[in-house]
Amino acid sequence: YSNFYRDLSNMLTDARDHDVIIQVGENQNRKELRAHSNILRARSEYFKIAFSDGWIIKKNDIIEFKKPNINPTVFEAILEYIYTGEFNLREKSVDYILQLIVACDELLLEELLDCAQDC
Amino acid sequence: MSSRKQPKGKIRPPKKPNSADAQFNDNWDRLAQAIREIHKKNASILSFEELYRNAYNMVLHKNGDKLYNGVREVITQHLEEVAVSQVVPAFPLSGASSSQTNPNGAGGANFLKVLKTVWEDHTTCMLMIRDILMYMDRVYAKTANVPLVYDLGLDLFRDTIVRSQNYPIQNHLLEVLLQQIKLERENEIIDRTNVKASIDMLLELTDASTKDTVYATDFENKFLETSSEYYRVEGQMLVGEYDAPEYMKKVDKRLNEEEQRVRHYLSQTTEPKIRNIVEEELISKHLKTVIEMENSGLIPMLRNEKMDDLGRMYKLFGRVVKGHDEMKSAISDYIRELGKAINETVTSNTTAEGGNAASGDKQTGATVAVRWVQEVLDLKDKFDKVQNLALSNDKAFQTSFNEAFEYFINKNSKSPEFISLFIDDNLKKGLKGKTEEEVDSVLDKTITLFRFIGEKDVFERYYKQHLAKRLLLGRSVSDDAERGMIGKLKVECGYQFTTKLEGMFNDMRISSDTMTDFKEYLDKSVLEKPKLDLSVTVLTSTFWPMNLSASPRCNLPPELTKACGTFQNFYLGRHSGRRLTWQSNMGTADIRGSFKARKHELNVSTYQMVILLMFNDKQDGESLSYEQIKGESDIPEADLKRNLQSLACAKYKILVKEPKGKEINPGDQFNFNNDFTAPLQRIKIQTVASKVESEGERKETREKVEEARKHQTEAAIVRIMKDRKTMEHNLLIAEVVKQLQSRFMPNPALIKKRIEALIEREYLERATGDRRVYNYLA
Repeated sequence: YSNFYRDLSNMLTDARDHDVIIQVGENQNRKELRAHSNILRARSEYFKIAFSDGWIIKKNDIIEFKKPNINPTVFEAILEYIYTGEFNLREKSVDYILQLIVACDELLLEELLDCAQDC
Repeated sequence: MSSRKQPKGKIRPPKKPNSADAQFNDNWDRLAQAIREIHKKNASILSFEELYRNAYNMVLHKNGDKLYNGVREVITQHLEEVAVSQVVPAFPLSGASSSQTNPNGAGGANFLKVLKTVWEDHTTCMLMIRDILMYMDRVYAKTANVPLVYDLGLDLFRDTIVRSQNYPIQNHLLEVLLQQIKLERENEIIDRTNVKASIDMLLELTDASTKDTVYATDFENKFLETSSEYYRVEGQMLVGEYDAPEYMKKVDKRLNEEEQRVRHYLSQTTEPKIRNIVEEELISKHLKTVIEMENSGLIPMLRNEKMDDLGRMYKLFGRVVKGHDEMKSAISDYIRELGKAINETVTSNTTAEGGNAASGDKQTGATVAVRWVQEVLDLKDKFDKVQNLALSNDKAFQTSFNEAFEYFINKNSKSPEFISLFIDDNLKKGLKGKTEEEVDSVLDKTITLFRFIGEKDVFERYYKQHLAKRLLLGRSVSDDAERGMIGKLKVECGYQFTTKLEGMFNDMRISSDTMTDFKEYLDKSVLEKPKLDLSVTVLTSTFWPMNLSASPRCNLPPELTKACGTFQNFYLGRHSGRRLTWQSNMGTADIRGSFKARKHELNVSTYQMVILLMFNDKQDGESLSYEQIKGESDIPEADLKRNLQSLACAKYKILVKEPKGKEINPGDQFNFNNDFTAPLQRIKIQTVASKVESEGERKETREKVEEARKHQTEAAIVRIMKDRKTMEHNLLIAEVVKQLQSRFMPNPALIKKRIEALIEREYLERATGDRRVYNYLA
């Protein structure tokens, strides 16, 4: 499945058809990440509701979403997992992994949570 | 999608990082406020991410229970407010008696509409609340074992609105629903969507103790009770006002309406229950009344062949337990009644005819028989049609009809004879101008009547007699038709029944070969040839209906006696060990008569020939008395009277009788009628071919049948005992009945007598230990 992983990974990093901008982090440690709403909806209950008619916020056809309480580097790993089903924890600090576990719990990403706890 | 203002700055409080309580209060205040905004339909100003995070933080910091209870409180408060401000003001006027003051149900409809809005608002809000509390549902509700927040919302709605302790909402709701349904039953147009919304709401709510829907616990029983009462009253009203077909149409309509109602706005689980109620109140309770309605009930429908109405009754009544049974027994009674009427026309006819039965008017007798069978067949046709067109060929009905036919057909003791005569009538040459196919189909139908006869052995006896006459007098339509009929009988009764009939056919064929040989024999012979053409049919006595022990006597004229002797020599020369007995009662003769006007060829019976030849020796005008004829011919009295009747009292009067009259009496004088004229050269003197038996003959037939039954019963007993060796009395009787009942119904007394006779003749013995047990003696 190496192609599958690579192609989906590329979709997250290279594609120009993003329709979501997620502002992650607070103050200086802030980053705008781009993603696809359909993939987020399909892979996560949390985003499915956040992007549902009742709650969605759009500007110029782009969905805006803020997630101030999660570190951008942690959220990038989460996005990678959402897109590819995999993530890379090699050479990551314990603190990083703890942050990841907390974030997964909040976003109800149970599968990822199980993996991170095993590390 | 619309963009919206960022809510962040507006509701974000100052941070108090060190105080968990302050954090809790801050989080909860925001959530409670947000839920209120949702209830106010202001959700667009809220941020999902923030609210979710607030709830997440509360649960994360072990405040899940406080959050849960807080949410419960906010929702309850809101619903209390809704009850007061929206639901209660919408109560139909004058409360409980609303149905009286609001005959068109407008107030009720409005109430349902308000409730519909309230319910829809509630569910919409609960969905949004569920969204922001998803973390609570997943993490807290599961471990605390409390309902998910949406279900909590349903329970709160149930207890605060639908079953409010403070306001009579429940009473109003049920009353309005039942009233709306009642209005619809009375053909008013109601707004079904409002009713359906309330029903759906009740279906979505669950009763805490029964775990059943609130629909089932609060509504359904009341609905069924009122429906029961409604249709009880309606049933009584309809039965009084409408005739049977109209009544059934109304019931049909009601059943349809209730089914539609369930489909449109009630629960499918209610369908069988409400159906049962309508069926019970409108069908079961009035079964008999509708069946027995004068001028329109079941019997009038049958009489007027109202197949549609009958079909409707069959379908409708089939819905209830006793429905078809009641119909069946009513129709069967009717068949019995009609059958009885047919039987009565016969008895009245035969008794009326009884007076002139001896006077030569024999044709009427056969006509009565043919008419009886025809009427029974017509009746059968009629009910076959009913069965086919209205009763879906229901087997149970067929069985019950058959029993009714069997009953009345066997009530007519002459039915075996009548049916045989009817067949005779149809198999006789060129009588009806029917095609072979037509005759065949009539005979097929006749076979169905034959099935109903209990005494098949009696039928067989008559059939043999009638067949014998057809064969010997050459009156059969064709061999094919005869064999076809025998084939049909064989299918019904098996090989044994028809062997003798087939034997009769063989005798006919062999006899025709024998006659060819006889002619050759005469040609080659040096003997003096007989002065007449003799045609002999040799009948095997066991096949044909004849009584050897009482063989008819008759003094034949010398020429004939001599010719018979010649044949007898020829025949016995070929078949040694056989005995020929001349059956002069069964023969015919062609003779030439010279009258004053012209000569005629007369086709007469052998007896008539013997009588007529006596007048050859007499002078013109010289008469013979009845006693002289009787003495000289030695013809049995009954035959003699009948044949003299044919010669002197029927269409062609070859003899003149003194005194005139239709009866032959001792002392009558007979003269040859020299003045006889007739347009045809060849004349057939009608011999009585087939007719209903007179009482005397019937008694005789009856005795023969009884005698035959004795033999058959004994044969059956011996057959069974030979196989079993030892058998108990009752078992033996049962087995004998079983073996014989296809031919007749043997009565146990008869069987017992035969057992005793067999014991006497040492075929059986009583067992030494047990007198009820018999042993077979080889």
